[in-house]
Amino acid sequence: MVKCYNSIIDVKLLSLRAVKGLWPALLGVGFFLIMGAASLAALLRYSELHSWLGYMQQPYLWRVVRFSLWQALLSSGISLLIAIPVASCLIHRQFYGRAALLQLFSVSMVVPTIVAILGLVVVYGRTGWLNQLFGVQIPLYGLVGILLAHVFFNMPLAVRLLLQGYDLIPSGQWRQASQLGFSRWTAFRWIEWHYMKKVLPGAFVLIFMLCFSSFAVVLSLGGGPKFSTLEVAIYQALRFDFDLDKASFLALLQVSICTLFAVIVYRVAPANRQDVSLLAVNSYVIRDSFWAKSADCLALFCAFVLVIPPFLAIFDPIFSPVFLKTLQSAALWNAVLISLQIALPAALVSLLLGVSFGVLARFCMARPYLALLPNKIEHLGNMILMVPGLVIATGLFLSLRDLGWGLQSSYWIVVWVNAVMALPFVLRALMPVMYQQEQRFRHVYLSLGIQSWSRWCLEWSMIRTSVAQALGYALLLSLGDMGVIALFGSQGLVSLPLYLFQLIGSYQLEEGACVAVVLISLCLILFYCSSRFIGGVTARVKH
Amino acid sequence: MLNINLQYDWEGFHADYCVDIFPGVTTLLGGSGEGKSTLLHLLGGFLDGRGELFFNEESLLSLPAYERPISTLFQSDNLFPQLTVWQNIAIGLSPSLSLNNEQRARIQWALEKTQLADKAERFPQALSGGQAQRVAIARAMVRKKPILLLDEPFSALDPSLREEMLYLVNEVTLELGLTTLLVSHLPQEASLVGGRVILIEQGCITAHEPVSVLSQSKVHPLFSRYLGLSSV
Repeated sequence: MVKCYNSIIDVKLLSLRAVKGLWPALLGVGFFLIMGAASLAALLRYSELHSWLGYMQQPYLWRVVRFSLWQALLSSGISLLIAIPVASCLIHRQFYGRAALLQLFSVSMVVPTIVAILGLVVVYGRTGWLNQLFGVQIPLYGLVGILLAHVFFNMPLAVRLLLQGYDLIPSGQWRQASQLGFSRWTAFRWIEWHYMKKVLPGAFVLIFMLCFSSFAVVLSLGGGPKFSTLEVAIYQALRFDFDLDKASFLALLQVSICTLFAVIVYRVAPANRQDVSLLAVNSYVIRDSFWAKSADCLALFCAFVLVIPPFLAIFDPIFSPVFLKTLQSAALWNAVLISLQIALPAALVSLLLGVSFGVLARFCMARPYLALLPNKIEHLGNMILMVPGLVIATGLFLSLRDLGWGLQSSYWIVVWVNAVMALPFVLRALMPVMYQQEQRFRHVYLSLGIQSWSRWCLEWSMIRTSVAQALGYALLLSLGDMGVIALFGSQGLVSLPLYLFQLIGSYQLEEGACVAVVLISLCLILFYCSSRFIGGVTARVKH
Repeated sequence: MLNINLQYDWEGFHADYCVDIFPGVTTLLGGSGEGKSTLLHLLGGFLDGRGELFFNEESLLSLPAYERPISTLFQSDNLFPQLTVWQNIAIGLSPSLSLNNEQRARIQWALEKTQLADKAERFPQALSGGQAQRVAIARAMVRKKPILLLDEPFSALDPSLREEMLYLVNEVTLELGLTTLLVSHLPQEASLVGGRVILIEQGCITAHEPVSVLSQSKVHPLFSRYLGLSSV
């Protein structure tokens, strides 16, 4: 009896010691929650709930909601429809440039929006490459332009998400497929689709949310109020009318629609297990055919046409004489400095938040009463996708203003909002490897009493590639931010994307294109540095 | 007859197999890491080796796995968890699952032969280990491939079930006139299925004898070290 009592005390002490080692993670997640709650509370304090009924009767609002839903559904549908055959082709075929294409896919989803838009204009615009080469002109400003931009950003993301789904397929199934002479179609029908349909709902929801809350793309390519989304309406309410009441109503509406959509999709989605996601998969030969080759060529052609020309177009101005002149502009280098001053701390904060979420989630894995929490913790971090960054920023600004910090807090608000907006991408890069480490070595760590810093030192070589990828994503997203900075940017706080937007707005397109080259080069350099110096020499894109 | 003259190199491990195998059951014996499974993977077309491989004077070496006259049963992952028992067997005949009446009848025959007729609509997760391996055997039966490779498919089963499976393999081999190669750690299993035994050591075939050598009162000198009787 006494022995049993002692063992209970031992377990409790062990748990207490384990929780004590968790305090940095709890601090990180707690800070995230407090800042979110403060922001929401400040917004609600300035809201007049009785006027919300009035907004609901405005036909303009419902038109905006309808268009937001329609363009998000189309964008996510088209992105996935192209991504499915592309992912299947990339799994089955080894070809020259495959690795480069995968690298490009990993970067294209975090390319600064404004830069990609410029690339799209150069390719599909009125005097663009498409018109010059083939005489084809497409209505870029409107739904078509929005869809093109969204597919440019999200098709590569969808491919990468589907490739993660392919990692779930045990290599024994490919071995059987090879032995039984499956054709590519049969392999897709009986093996790939079974695993893909587990990943598709999550991918669909993620892309839907990204497109539903799209801001810079719609602002630049929407072409007017006919093609406006809720996020743009929030920006207009804040920037032009400073109508906090309307902005909070619209934000709440956006969050409600996204939540409802996610709940419906996840309800019908089959359960997804992340059991063997990071184990190496041997490749086995599947029966090839003319039709399989043709389908792969078509899929790759679509991917190439949609992603590569806008990328190439971005670098077009390097050969222009204006490029050197633009490089000599003091305003450009000032914007570079501001961008770095925002992106570096934002990426670091985002990474720290991601690690906090990861540590807390994996602590709860396989523990009695806590086993359900890891998913919830991850969802909490991803929820930020539903909340407009502009709304968080405004709420935070109001909270800080109430505490006596006026406009001088703008810089920190931009840094914080950029950090939290990058969090879902950081989590996506970090969580699988953190879960995997926990599943494999939990008992070893427990039995040897290894925790906190010592555990990080041991794990570093296994997780550094993912940490580098997470930091790279956060850096690129913060560097390319055109949301919060558009609201808080002022004379002394002009980042590269904002400077570029101002140049385009004042019809200095050539200078703007040169600034875009600088911005994308900065992104690539920082992404490379993150992969090389943090990820180590072995750092490479897994898929 | 299966004529094997294969070489394979992997990270310092060199294998060189040279043997002629006749129809019936042949058990591959040998310690862990000696190269038994490597030989089966080379035969099955899952590893690329050098040399020659003929079956009834037809060269198999350049053929991909799916074109070889071979069915392989592995230790695990023989079944697709997303397909029912019936579909798992049928997929061996037609990957698109479009079957004619003769093929359907053959599946029914295999189901009955393996005592799985009442489990046809079940998914592999609802089967015991022995039942799951019987499904894999049923698939090999309907495929009518003249060579059957068994890479320790019954190692996870308890002794009585394992014995039952080996009897089934023996029966199927005799009935269909197959050339069956069974990888095993246990000499008792070789004695149970009969036929011949091959001893593999460090990637080479060091003995190829009738199974009776294992039950003789004076152990064959080539097998004594493997059986731990070198000092006897």
